[in-house]
Amino acid sequence: MLADAEKAYFKALEALKNRDYAAASGFFKTAENQFTDRLEFRILQATTALLLAVKEEIFEIENSRIEIEEISSYGKETEFRR
Amino acid sequence: MARLETLKKLETTLEKFLGRAVDTETARLENFQSIDLLDDIARDSMKGRFINNRLGSWFARNNELLSNKNMKEFEISAIANLLNDIQSAMDPSDAETQKLAEEIDHWKEQGIAPKRKLVLKMKGETAELSITEKFMELLKKEAELLEFDPNKGEHLLTILDDVLKSADAKEDPMFVHLAASIIYFMRMHGYKVGPFVKRLKEIELKKTGGSHAG
Repeated sequence: MLADAEKAYFKALEALKNRDYAAASGFFKTAENQFTDRLEFRILQATTALLLAVKEEIFEIENSRIEIEEISSYGKETEFRR
Repeated sequence: MARLETLKKLETTLEKFLGRAVDTETARLENFQSIDLLDDIARDSMKGRFINNRLGSWFARNNELLSNKNMKEFEISAIANLLNDIQSAMDPSDAETQKLAEEIDHWKEQGIAPKRKLVLKMKGETAELSITEKFMELLKKEAELLEFDPNKGEHLLTILDDVLKSADAKEDPMFVHLAASIIYFMRMHGYKVGPFVKRLKEIELKKTGGSHAG
């Protein structure tokens, strides 16, 4: 039978192909004990983690912009929620 | 605003990088999907489920793997080990299963030969295993089966029920031993195991054609 880590690594690649980065990150975590000494694995895992962090940051900035715009639309801007 | 633009550029760059990195692995990904499917078939085979149709389709769809010169060593080894597992669980009493067993032999002849298990086989050919070694091998095989059991994490009674079904359906005596072992363990922990003992005895009688004395 295939080892869980082997399955997880390939499932991570599959998830990356489908642009499901959160799932890929989870599969990389499962596979890391067996593959952590492989450079290509470490690069893909780190890049995926960085991409998720960037996406989260973008989400937060865009959401705060919406809140500010909503406050402004009611007239004089009195407070910022962030 | 500038920060958001910078982040979006970085997002695009990272996505492109990951996309290209995965593209270079596409061939391996396709191989993996084939191996993963074969792994599912092997697991079902170990559970005593009917796999002939799926195995036949797998051979038909993956025939080109035999001529693929770019396969990695671990991929060849994984396929070989899975085919070996499937073949060892086969009951080639019918023509269809016999044909599939022959196809596995054909793959072995083409170089899809198990690497890890070959060592054990050679040892077996040159020196007969002692009864202690045989027992250790059996325990190892049982542990591997439980490790990959779909019911892993479920109550032991659920696992026992599944093992008894396999014991009934398959020729491999390992399932009978494993069922007996689980039953004894549960009895040691105060569970009432009468119905399971009855089932196991019925299976044993069925397999020995009613000639079993004890």
